[in-house]
Amino acid sequence: MLYNVFVDPFVQMADMPDLLVQVLWEGTVAGVLYALIALGFVLIFKASGVFNFAQGIMVVFAALTLVGLHENGVPALLALVLTVGVMYALAWSIERVVLRPLVNQPDIILFMATFGITYLIIGLGEFIFGGRPKAMITSELFLPRGAIDVQMLGGRVTFQKLDIAAAVIAGLMVAALAVFFQRTRIGRALRAVADSHKAALSVGISLNQIWVVVWFTAGLVALVTGIMWGARSDVSFGLQIIALKALPVLILGGFTSVPGAIVGGLIIGVGEKVGEFYWGPLVGSGIESWLAYLIALAFLLFRPQGLFGDKIIERI
Amino acid sequence: MSAAAPRPGETLLSVDGISLAFGGVKALTDVSFDVRKGEIRAIIGPNGAGKSSMLNCINGFYQPQQGRITYRGVERRQMRPHEAAEQGIARTFQNIALFRGMSTLDNIMTGRLLRMKVPFFWQVWRHGPAMREEIEHRRFVEGIIEFLEIEHIRKTPVGRLPYGLQKRVELGRALAMEPELLLLDEPMAGMNLEEKEDMCRFILDVVRQYGTTIALIEHDMGVVMDLSDRVVVLDYGRKIADGTPAEVKADRRVIDAYLGVGH
Repeated sequence: MLYNVFVDPFVQMADMPDLLVQVLWEGTVAGVLYALIALGFVLIFKASGVFNFAQGIMVVFAALTLVGLHENGVPALLALVLTVGVMYALAWSIERVVLRPLVNQPDIILFMATFGITYLIIGLGEFIFGGRPKAMITSELFLPRGAIDVQMLGGRVTFQKLDIAAAVIAGLMVAALAVFFQRTRIGRALRAVADSHKAALSVGISLNQIWVVVWFTAGLVALVTGIMWGARSDVSFGLQIIALKALPVLILGGFTSVPGAIVGGLIIGVGEKVGEFYWGPLVGSGIESWLAYLIALAFLLFRPQGLFGDKIIERI
Repeated sequence: MSAAAPRPGETLLSVDGISLAFGGVKALTDVSFDVRKGEIRAIIGPNGAGKSSMLNCINGFYQPQQGRITYRGVERRQMRPHEAAEQGIARTFQNIALFRGMSTLDNIMTGRLLRMKVPFFWQVWRHGPAMREEIEHRRFVEGIIEFLEIEHIRKTPVGRLPYGLQKRVELGRALAMEPELLLLDEPMAGMNLEEKEDMCRFILDVVRQYGTTIALIEHDMGVVMDLSDRVVVLDYGRKIADGTPAEVKADRRVIDAYLGVGH
């Protein structure tokens, strides 16, 4: 038994390194996509201290809008631009209708409000686009298809071109966001707002403007996530479940850290795939669906602020 | 940085018949006073007298139900806090409101945000005009750090600083905005004697060096009497006295309000 748990999987890894590379790659790709979802949460959590339950449905809504527009005869690239516009309109209306009237309310109130937003968007999405799953318009958006086979380590490793594209696009987006938040005036203002609303107002930062920017950015992240996930499966309301996968990622990385979301996503993604492939058979497989939560639980016990989160010390 | 010579006498801010209520609770009732350019104007009164509410009205956190606030000769009805900041009103808070995760330097730099005008494009590349602007603001902020004698904690996250220094950083952030009117909400609360003396010195120097007009709330009567040019006294949301420290100190109603003497 101990041999099966602690030795055998590693012997297998060493035996077939090409297979290991394949598993690691699959894990990395899944991890990148988890990281993208988590990133949407982190953005909003930083700026308003709210866990945005609606992030998952925003992913679905963005993808649905894109596909739906295209189905109605809008050229793909124009549809993409229009979808960006729709996400801006969504951010603006959420700020106007939900956040502004609830300013200075306890966080839990805002959290509940994001539940409301979730069900509103579900209803709106089904009303406009119907409940059927749709295929993502991959080739129209110039996303590559097919696979590259690489001979390495005495075997063959397959890389899906779509996965490579997803990793590259996600990387570029994360870099762009990092530059935006580190260097621009709005980025600095955002970090200020995250710390204290009152103080931010007193130095002349407009909370309303910041909130629109943040929710719009989260909407853009949702759109990219929606395209990438949609291309791997279908675009349907079932996709919003992936938002739940963001939770262990956030617990791992810390709710307030952008690098944390990325590293956390990768750890969860790779951990899941490796665990499933090498240790799964021991318990009749299927551990992919709960392993992430187990890891998160362990973190909550030993390092509740996550890998990169702020350790909050309250003076009393 | 050039100190505009203070010309006391010219009215900078005037508050006229302000009333503010939260539901049935009347925080302020028909309060009027003015602040002249270059003076230190104290607002005093027992706990719950409406002093902080008054500051919150001036900088736009609260919108009074009645009355007029005229700033720089322009009357305004509704003003949001960030608009007040744009017009040169800076403030500190009774319970310190700093950006806890940031260093002293970054906190004070946020006071310069409104003055950063270089377009987005340049800031992204941190190049050309953006770099020059950054250096220029950093120089100004270093001046403030030197002025407040907090060079040694420049890089320390403010959450770790003792209370007295946090108050000083908060003052620094307000000064970085180069305000025309500075609102200080109990700048000396919870300080020991030495810290209080330092803070008094800074406040007097601010007026002298930067030509800033100051409206402050303070509980320490000794400090108020020493620092301020004129004092307005609030009690239960109403103005009960207004004048020089000496006049106010001798006022029967003020003594009653503070000592709780019944009639």
